[in-house]
Amino acid sequence: MTSSTTDNVSPIERLRSAVPGLDQILGGGLFRTGVYIIQGLPGCGKTILANQICYGHVAEGGSAVYVTLLAESHSRMIQHLSTLSFFDVKAFPDKLAYISAFHELETAGLKGLMAVLRREMRTRKVGVLVLDGLVAASEGASDLDLKKFIHELQSIAVLQDCTVLLLTSGNLHRMAAEHTMVDGLVELEDKLFEARSERSIQVRKFRGAGPLRGKHSMRIDNDGITVFPRIESLYRIAASDTTTSERAVTSGIASLDGLLAIKGVPASSATVVIGSTGTGKTTLGLHFLHASTPEEPGLHLGFFEGPDRLRSKARSMGLALEPLEASGAVELMWQSPVEATVDEIAERLLAAVARRGVRRLVIDGLSGFLESTVYPERIARFFSCLVNELRNRRVTVLMTLETRDVVSSVVSMPWGVSGLVDNLFFLRFVHDEGHVERLLTIIKMRDTDYQAGLRRLKIDSHGMHIAGTYRADGDVIPSAQPVASPEGAAPSPSK
Amino acid sequence: MKTILVVDDELGSAEVLSLILEEEGYRALCAVNGRQALVQARDVVPDLVIVDYMMPLMNGADFARELRADTQFADTKIILNSGLPEAAIREHFGGYDAFLRKPFKVEALLELVQRFIGR
Repeated sequence: MTSSTTDNVSPIERLRSAVPGLDQILGGGLFRTGVYIIQGLPGCGKTILANQICYGHVAEGGSAVYVTLLAESHSRMIQHLSTLSFFDVKAFPDKLAYISAFHELETAGLKGLMAVLRREMRTRKVGVLVLDGLVAASEGASDLDLKKFIHELQSIAVLQDCTVLLLTSGNLHRMAAEHTMVDGLVELEDKLFEARSERSIQVRKFRGAGPLRGKHSMRIDNDGITVFPRIESLYRIAASDTTTSERAVTSGIASLDGLLAIKGVPASSATVVIGSTGTGKTTLGLHFLHASTPEEPGLHLGFFEGPDRLRSKARSMGLALEPLEASGAVELMWQSPVEATVDEIAERLLAAVARRGVRRLVIDGLSGFLESTVYPERIARFFSCLVNELRNRRVTVLMTLETRDVVSSVVSMPWGVSGLVDNLFFLRFVHDEGHVERLLTIIKMRDTDYQAGLRRLKIDSHGMHIAGTYRADGDVIPSAQPVASPEGAAPSPSK
Repeated sequence: MKTILVVDDELGSAEVLSLILEEEGYRALCAVNGRQALVQARDVVPDLVIVDYMMPLMNGADFARELRADTQFADTKIILNSGLPEAAIREHFGGYDAFLRKPFKVEALLELVQRFIGR
């Protein structure tokens, strides 16, 4: 006798949710035949989430029923849902139905409600059942009654191969009787940060698997809900040691490469170009981008200057981007810095990198990320994970960062940025006997030698180039200085 | 007095409709699903039924089919209503006298009621 009992236990199948990103944070989807609570205040997206799961199940050939108690009227719900892309009128009535069970609850209590649910599961043979309004069901019922109700629901769900979603806006801030019984607890939130609100989703309990913990941002638009897993929870593996000095990637400026021992920046490294407005950060980025080829494609993520303006700017310096875009060597991507979450931007960025096998990336305006976050304490971990992931994907990154001081010899690094820098270039203006000069200083290069000192920088119709050494007093020699962390703790110096 | 049976699993809307119809001088009765409605219909033989499409136990289409198959309801008019568009419903069932897409205005309903059964 060699067989063991575990050989006979098959894993529970998952129910794909059709909510982008949700299955990722659940580690593959809800477990079929599970009973889950989806909770949150009115307006946080419970109804849309549950409906999206229903319609997704129907689209895959299943059937679903949406049972309401004291909730939004069915006709109004259908009116609202009909504006969403997943709404499918053909699903009615064979594959999807909205029914009310409030009368049964009111006349026969939880037993009457259970009878409706049991009958709907059996007669319609549904794979997903939603009960909207658990609060109404629990009013007047004892904790024991409610536990028995959920226990019975779990038993029926298994027998009928049906996954059950219980929607509620109650008991948000305490562990209630029903929380202890269900297989999972998903909480939605719409939180205000000054004038801006951010939606989030959190899996607070999930039997049978380890979800991606913590809050993840969420968007609701015409396609319904999209979840953006927090990048720190997705990419927890340290960067492989791909940043080496053995292989150089040209900066796109021959005279700048000439200052670097390997004649370029190390492949898969992260370079930050820091400087005040007008010093040439975007121009340096355009040079770097212009060196892209179809074999080593480039991507430009801009937060402030749109693609047309960039093309025009590049053209004026003899760096026409249009032919590179036509050949597939370059893609320009623009992102508003104000109405997207950092995770949404990171997801879009990493998807674009994967889609074209990008090897050169310019992020023009790191402050765009900084402005997009409502949790500043996250930013150090966020950047660290994003840059690590880009390194793992063998992407060489050049990022620009604007400083406030137009004329300064101090490089103020926002908290969170200093730790991700392999290479740091400082651009600035100096006054010199009535003239204003642009200077470039290489402050640090990881794993490779470079020529330190102050270099004159010229920008003309041929683009940017180094125009000799600048000699000056000691007070213009730059020094790197990270600013304080959001928590007030002393940040570690840049690596 | 003409009798109208209002059938809707969302009991609140059925009750509101019944009150409005009573104010208009009709005798109005409520049911919350097709099965319950069928029992009441056999008891009172309504002149008109206003029935929702999606309901538990027995939906509006199945209820209307039962009425149509029973000769005692030969003169009973049926107004079907739903939040779904009529085209989606007509694919499955067409045996009604009028259709109202929810949410509808009460004037639209009363006009139909008056046209079918008068005052």
